[in-house]
Amino acid sequence: MGFSVDAPGGRLEILKDISLDLNAGETLAIVGASGSGKTTLLGLLAGLDRPTSGDIRLTGAELKSLDENARARLRKRHVGFVFQSFHLLPSLTALENVMLALEIAAFEHPRKRALEALDQVGLSHRLEHYPRQLSGGEQQRVAIARAFAGEPEILFADEPTGNLDQRTGEAVADLLFELNEHHGTALVLVTHDMKLARRCGRVDKIEDGVLTGGEGATEHA
Amino acid sequence: MNSAALSLKLLTRQSRSGALVMLFAGLVVATAALAAVSLFTDRVGRALERQAGEVLAADLVITGRERLPEEYREKAGELGLDTAEIALLSTVLFVGEESHLVDLKAVTETYPLRGQLKLADRLGSDQEETLATAPRPGTGWMAARGLRLFETDTGVEVDIGRRAVNIERVLTWEPDRGGSRFMLAPRLIIHMDDLLDSELLGPGSRVRWRLLVAGSESGVAEFRRWVEPRVEDRQDIETVAEAEADTGQALEQAQRFLGVAALTAVILAAAAVLLAALRYSRSQRDLVALLKAFGAEGRQILGALSLMLLWLALAAIATGGVLAFGAQTVIASILADGPAGELPPARLMPLVGSGSFTLLLAAGFALPPLVALRSVAPMRILNRSLDTRPGLAGGLWLVPILGALAIPVLQLGNLRLAMIVLGGSATLAAVLALAAWGAMGLSRQLSKRTRADWRFGLAGLHRRRGQGIIQITALGLGLMALLLLMIVRAELLEQWRGSLPEDTADHFVVNIQPDQREAVHEALVEAGALNLQIRPMATVNLIEVNGEPPPDHRWAGQTNVSWIDTLPPANRVIEGTFFAPDADGEISLAQRWAERTGVGMGDTMLFEAGGQRLDATVTSMREVEWESFNVNFFILLTPSAGESLPHQFIASFRLPEDAGPLRDIQQGWPNVSIIDIGALLDRIGEIIDRVSSAAQVVFFFTLIAGLVVLLAALEATRDERRQEAALIRALGADDALVRRGLLIEYGAMALIAAVLATGGAALTGWLLARELFEFAYRPSALLLASGFVVSFVLVVGSGWLGNRSVLKTSPIRILRAGG
Repeated sequence: MGFSVDAPGGRLEILKDISLDLNAGETLAIVGASGSGKTTLLGLLAGLDRPTSGDIRLTGAELKSLDENARARLRKRHVGFVFQSFHLLPSLTALENVMLALEIAAFEHPRKRALEALDQVGLSHRLEHYPRQLSGGEQQRVAIARAFAGEPEILFADEPTGNLDQRTGEAVADLLFELNEHHGTALVLVTHDMKLARRCGRVDKIEDGVLTGGEGATEHA
Repeated sequence: MNSAALSLKLLTRQSRSGALVMLFAGLVVATAALAAVSLFTDRVGRALERQAGEVLAADLVITGRERLPEEYREKAGELGLDTAEIALLSTVLFVGEESHLVDLKAVTETYPLRGQLKLADRLGSDQEETLATAPRPGTGWMAARGLRLFETDTGVEVDIGRRAVNIERVLTWEPDRGGSRFMLAPRLIIHMDDLLDSELLGPGSRVRWRLLVAGSESGVAEFRRWVEPRVEDRQDIETVAEAEADTGQALEQAQRFLGVAALTAVILAAAAVLLAALRYSRSQRDLVALLKAFGAEGRQILGALSLMLLWLALAAIATGGVLAFGAQTVIASILADGPAGELPPARLMPLVGSGSFTLLLAAGFALPPLVALRSVAPMRILNRSLDTRPGLAGGLWLVPILGALAIPVLQLGNLRLAMIVLGGSATLAAVLALAAWGAMGLSRQLSKRTRADWRFGLAGLHRRRGQGIIQITALGLGLMALLLLMIVRAELLEQWRGSLPEDTADHFVVNIQPDQREAVHEALVEAGALNLQIRPMATVNLIEVNGEPPPDHRWAGQTNVSWIDTLPPANRVIEGTFFAPDADGEISLAQRWAERTGVGMGDTMLFEAGGQRLDATVTSMREVEWESFNVNFFILLTPSAGESLPHQFIASFRLPEDAGPLRDIQQGWPNVSIIDIGALLDRIGEIIDRVSSAAQVVFFFTLIAGLVVLLAALEATRDERRQEAALIRALGADDALVRRGLLIEYGAMALIAAVLATGGAALTGWLLARELFEFAYRPSALLLASGFVVSFVLVVGSGWLGNRSVLKTSPIRILRAGG
């Protein structure tokens, strides 16, 4: 699979001949320097965009043949997200932020599920708080609750601890891996933090748009 | 780096940033809208004033009981102004056996300086010639009524004192007929030399002298400054503004209509700047956080942002000024034969006003959101979610805002009009803000009980509570301004045009003797006269007011009075009580007369007529609708007092085109005079038509400004919308859900703004009509309903078009940009 864009200086290849497999329940970390293409790869894997060459199969569906709406349907059923900047809607409470994702995916009893999810991340006492009333760690826990509430088959996490201090970051990472294990979800984690990456079953390194086997790759190959 | 250098860097580095361009555009629109409207209204206003100058036949007139000093004329000449001289005198004229009183007007060659005379070769001729010239010495022009009175025609020779004058032509129109709608005695215009040689100007002659001055505005203004301290007790200055013109009220109305257009442009401009500044300040938060993280102090940032705004405002003033100049030139050329004939050249003065307006507007509306950036937390650089929300700083900003709004008020010079339009807008703004706040609370509650699309859509409303309130308020105000224009354009002007009733009197019959009254009345009814009113009239001399000689005003002295037992139509008592039918010793005065002469409530007036003396006390003050063209009098006596005076009757009526000729009446009672004022009514109709077309062009320009505001309002939150759309798409929402969410949000916003704007526009229109244009406005349900629908569709439609990019937002964006 490859991805390129038209830039002022000519065609720019961001990802080149990437080949990658991830099975259900597996955890994969993609590490790389800034600008190496790791976030782009994450976006493509999650179906947020389409590769310009090759194809991606997500839970059996070929993404290249799906239009934006079809990919949206695929995401809401099978995919969860955790972002570096949390991305909570500022005008919705913690509970509503989690409920919104469930409602988009048309789950039954969204409120009940959201309450359970927030309870799992230890925020039962913060349900009616708005994002601005929550600390960074708490906001990311809401985002994690949102990601797991729909019980996705695969979770994409983009530098989930990148905006947090070390202690909070570690606590959030603990929570993420704990829930991941509990739900048996596959995880793709993009980070440049090797310590965090090593917690995944596999670590792949990306350099100038080319994926090379990383540390874990040898262990788990 | 100091603030000035930083401000220039901010400005140049970001010159291609969308938000900055938008703020610049907002300021340019503000300048251009107000400047174009005020440049154009200034030109039209001056042109209309010049037309009104025809009423004086000059731009400025000095009147006196004696011939005006030669130095006045010399000074006017030095200033490059034209002058003419008039002497007015009532005198008895003999033609054969007949002798009648005529109103003699002797003029110098340059008369008239403004306006034109209309002349015919003989009585009954349809061929009129329009001239701006005085009669040659030895010749004269007499009004048709005079020729009929003397039972003669042109070519006859009359003696004026010791001079013989040949009546060469029939006078059918003179611009400066004077305040009264009709003269009792017919007019005869002769050359000044003839009067000077006539020996009529001996001691005791009651001549009134007038020195006419006209020319460039600056010259006239300078002459006025020079002459004012020199004017003596028995001299007076009259200018166009003070002229008692039948058309005066129509021209005032015209200025008011254009004033409404200018003020709505102001409201729109303010809204545009505020919205653009809000968007810009949001886009600057990262930058400010970065600067702070690098060690810039709050004060330095404040200084840089303020200076940057100043540079931006100055550039906008220059650009807007040039645009405005171009725009008003185009408007003027479209109207080449338009609203007031040839327009006087544009002046730069209105640009100074609108430039200051833009600066104050920037200070009042754009500075607060920028200053609020001071409080951006440097922590934001690490995590945007950790930033504090900037509030809009407090009440100090009211000062420049009030200053900004004061400028157009001063420029338009009509406080009541400004209070109604601005007050109406301010009230509407408050109601809108309140309604928006309430709607957000409501939508908050509703969104708890709804599913994803409604939750997303309604959440959009209260997502940015403060900004949402401002957005709805600005939208509502913009819509109201546009609807108000629609109302003024479509209905107020139409209804004003219709406010001259169909049966407005267009003929007067004067000099009906008491014993002829019944017979003339019957004859007029038979001839088909409509709206016929016959009123008694006596000419009296005012001898004393409160035991003192009367004020020296041309309206005091000899004057016409009438009497009646009830308040006449088109009159309204504004002070005191109108006397009872059987009262005695009471007087009712018209406010206009009272103001000019200084006679007031409770004053005693002593009159003399035909050897009788009569005194009475002023017990009521009336406001008279002069444009009703009924027979109206400044001074009304009680019937018991009036009937004892020597008097005649005067009739007013409308004669439909198919009515019988009045010739029989004229022949049956040769002493009565029939006066046709149809030409005057036509002239007022023409003024209204011209104002309508001028106003339309001005309104069109304001409309464009309004649309810009509308788009700015909707554009203001697009960035955030895209971010949110990207997020919920990443979470799996499809096109339909995002679209429904947007529609729900815009629909709710449009509903609030359109309902309140329609109501506000109807109310303000009604207030304007009642308080300023003085007729009862009936808002039409159809217009209001279509106004509402158009507003609703406009907001939702432009919101939709402006946010197509939101629908197209790729969810990948969520990984690229922070929250």
